[in-house]
Amino acid sequence: MTRFTMKPVGWRPRLEPVKAETATPAQLAALDACPPAVRRSTYFLTLAHDPGSLGERGALFNIVMYAEGGLDRADRELATAVVSMVNGCVYCTSVHAKRFVELSGDEPAMQRILEEGWAAEPDPRRKAIADVTEALTRDPGVVTAAHLAPLRAVGLDDLEILDLLHGIAMFANANRLMLTLGDPLLPRVM
Amino acid sequence: MTNLPPDLIEDLLGIAPDSPLGVLRRRRPEALRHAEGAFRELVLPEDPGGISRAERARLACHVAAREGDAALAARYEALAGAVDPSPRLDALLTYAEKVAMTPEATAKADIDGLAALGLSPRDIVAATQLIAFVPYQVRMLAGLRAMQQEKAA
Repeated sequence: MTRFTMKPVGWRPRLEPVKAETATPAQLAALDACPPAVRRSTYFLTLAHDPGSLGERGALFNIVMYAEGGLDRADRELATAVVSMVNGCVYCTSVHAKRFVELSGDEPAMQRILEEGWAAEPDPRRKAIADVTEALTRDPGVVTAAHLAPLRAVGLDDLEILDLLHGIAMFANANRLMLTLGDPLLPRVM
Repeated sequence: MTNLPPDLIEDLLGIAPDSPLGVLRRRRPEALRHAEGAFRELVLPEDPGGISRAERARLACHVAAREGDAALAARYEALAGAVDPSPRLDALLTYAEKVAMTPEATAKADIDGLAALGLSPRDIVAATQLIAFVPYQVRMLAGLRAMQQEKAA
């Protein structure tokens, strides 16, 4: 059985997080550059120990995931869920699989990916996105123009491919932070 | 300090801001700005705290080399210069290896080990952010090189 799920997964930091009440002005300013829904989360309060990197990296994350136009947001969530599965980040997978479903309305597609992966993905666009995402995540050195050809074949333009690269790269980063600075708290198996 | 190019990624790709790929990247100006900002904040911060700029560049160099990006590794090597070896730097390099290559295998003991060497929570978070940011750069460079190849074909 797959360990990946759309159910909420918790996260316990391996370092005592900053407390919002006692945060320095620099820490609060950095937190305010992060997505509103998460800026008081345990994870961001942990990152707030180093406000300089949190501010820049939080702003980068924001634009990669939410920039207008370009790659469809559901496709960005698909890619970030696939990166998270390849890297074994159960927490990030749960968050972004859920967002994919919210944006696409296609829960069966994501459930299948969580259980079986994307080798037999029937939707050609999703298949192309998942395959290049896996390649760039596993072994960036081998990726060439030939890896982008399936994306072109399903109609992605330059900006959409750039947005996809941003999403894949961002989760090479995000998964490593999540997996290193804390432990996932898995939902009870039914 | 070495003179920095305005944008590390474009310098390594050898492209100009008004090249087709440069123009494309400027359709996401905040991504450009904050990726460069994160690089400077992590490798060359004004106040580096307990991990010097040279040590930071050494850690980044290790990750870039292990991820197979020789050009990025060479850039960090140049920024690092000579770094005095120390048990602390060895521990940070061991940590970098784990976080970059097998992040799922890290444990609380890895974090506690750094703290036991006198690294503050800020130092530990900064080191982790730095080590985790180089894989971002490596994948952006790899993807953009593939787009460059497409345009050259």
